[in-house]
Amino acid sequence: MLDTRDLSKVYGRGKQRFEAVKHVSLTLHQGEVLAFLGPNGAGKTTTIKMIAGLVRPTHGLVTVVGEDPHRQPRALRHIGAVLEGNRNLYWRLTPEENLEYFGVLRQVPRKVAHRRGLELLSRFGLEEKRQTPVQKLSRGMQQKVAIAVALIHNPKLLLLDEPTLGLDVEASEMVKALVRQIAQEGRAVLLTTHQLDVAEELSDRVAIIRRGRIIAEQSTEALLKEFSSSTYHLEVEGELSPQQIHTVTQLGATVQGTQITYAGTSENLYALLRALSPVPLVAVQRDRADLTQVFLKLVKDQPDASL
Amino acid sequence: MIDLLYAELKRTWIQFIRYPTEVISGIVIILAVFYGLFSSAQYIAGPGFAFGDRLDSVVLGYAMWTLIISVNNDIAINLQIEAETGTLEQVFLSPYGAPRVFLARAFASLALRLLILVVVLLLLMGLSGSRLAFPPILLLPLASLLMAGYGLAFLLGAVALVFKRVQQILGIFQFLLLFLLAAPLEESTGLMQYLRFLLPMLPSTGLLRDLMARGVGLDWATYGLALLNGMVYFVIGLFVFRWAEATAKQRGSLSGY
Ligand SMILES: Nc1ncnc2c1ncn2[C@@H]1O[C@H](COP(=O)(O)OP(=O)(O)OP(=O)(O)O)[C@@H](O)[C@H]1O
Ligand SMILES: [Mg+2]
Repeated sequence: MLDTRDLSKVYGRGKQRFEAVKHVSLTLHQGEVLAFLGPNGAGKTTTIKMIAGLVRPTHGLVTVVGEDPHRQPRALRHIGAVLEGNRNLYWRLTPEENLEYFGVLRQVPRKVAHRRGLELLSRFGLEEKRQTPVQKLSRGMQQKVAIAVALIHNPKLLLLDEPTLGLDVEASEMVKALVRQIAQEGRAVLLTTHQLDVAEELSDRVAIIRRGRIIAEQSTEALLKEFSSSTYHLEVEGELSPQQIHTVTQLGATVQGTQITYAGTSENLYALLRALSPVPLVAVQRDRADLTQVFLKLVKDQPDASL
Repeated sequence: MIDLLYAELKRTWIQFIRYPTEVISGIVIILAVFYGLFSSAQYIAGPGFAFGDRLDSVVLGYAMWTLIISVNNDIAINLQIEAETGTLEQVFLSPYGAPRVFLARAFASLALRLLILVVVLLLLMGLSGSRLAFPPILLLPLASLLMAGYGLAFLLGAVALVFKRVQQILGIFQFLLLFLLAAPLEESTGLMQYLRFLLPMLPSTGLLRDLMARGVGLDWATYGLALLNGMVYFVIGLFVFRWAEATAKQRGSLSGY
């Protein structure tokens, strides 16, 4: 669906020369959500704009459904984008008018654009507001309209640059639910965000960029697993016998009342479980890293030699 | 392409009409300026002066000047506004490609401006009792004038894309235009008689003055040159605009950085 190879961007010349993006290669498949994460100024927006044909790469190639948006403007039919900042819409126009206008701008026949616009509005729960100028809508509604506009031409790839920025909890939840639906329809979604819980919930894969370079790219699940420690927390119901406590401690676990903490191999975990038998278990849980911990670790730990 | 043109007309019209007080006050201001100009011209000429040619050409000159200024600034100002409000990049995401979109926009805004101008001129004629000759043949030099005008508009649009802040440049430009358009260079002799064909729009404005104020017929040879002038400036404008688009994408400065 989307394929970027070796994308690099150098801004400015001479003393001002600045390499914002270095050799970024990403692939994205149908129905997949890729969270593109990185600290401020890492090069996320630059990369997204290179994919959308708005910033010309210094090196590298972008292919969207087999077409290069920098060579063939036709390729833009496959791309929908909600860019950073809060204004992707004409504020004097109503949602309905915005949808029709942008539909035609994206080469959808006018009648079709109008009909699809109404469908999207009802799907996004904006029917009542369809005649209200965008200016008078709440921030969350504006964002929903912007996403609807990005979908009006039925693109295969949706680019979302910080879609939940400045939204309250409820509005963020709505946007998250929409993104999920959109991916389920078989579109590929590339989104950037600084809200790592959002990324963790939505993404199938994560790419982390730092100072223009991708420092990690893999499935969200695998990444979390990799960074999860192998510490287990067990809880039992009732007292353990002194004999049991002895065996368990021998295996390397610590016992505090009904709580047992164990950091060892998973084979030994079964030995430990056997030793506990027949005391009823209340919980067995493995420590699980969240994306925030992973992110901070990755972004901080990397040596600066890469500069 | 027809759909795009229609969509641009609709968008332009809705944005214009959504706040009617703005529309009315806008028209009142233009009208007041016109009327002021008209009556002071009358005053200076004195009551004994037979109005007619001179006065009409003052009014027409002014009407043309405002039309041309608004046409010239059209693309640059809208680019700047949309870069500030954040819709510009969405426009550049169109598979039509930016030049075609901005061409459609130029047509749409031209339609609106002509409409406003006609309304203002009609009101003015009602107020002053003056009658302007408006033979249909006028449309020919008007077309060549607008072609060159939009050529310049694309040029200024290119400046806006690359340099962002265009307010000063537009101001200076208006001043130059006032000089150029107000001076009846078609009456000059010598070298200027030839040079005026190289300057943007001048051959067309000369012809318009002939038709509207002097009551002279259309000189087809001159019109040919005027048309050529219009086309050449239009093509230059589009060309430079495409270059500016590429440059802005290179610098990553489409949305203003
Ligand atoms: N047009 C430009 N000209 C020069 N430098 C630029 C330009 N656009 C971006 N940069 C620089 O490139 C770097 C990457 O910027 P970019 O906007 O891609 O970061 P980002 O990852 O989106 O950051 P944020 O999380 O703050 O949105 C920054 O250091 C920025 O200053
Ligand atoms: Mg950004």
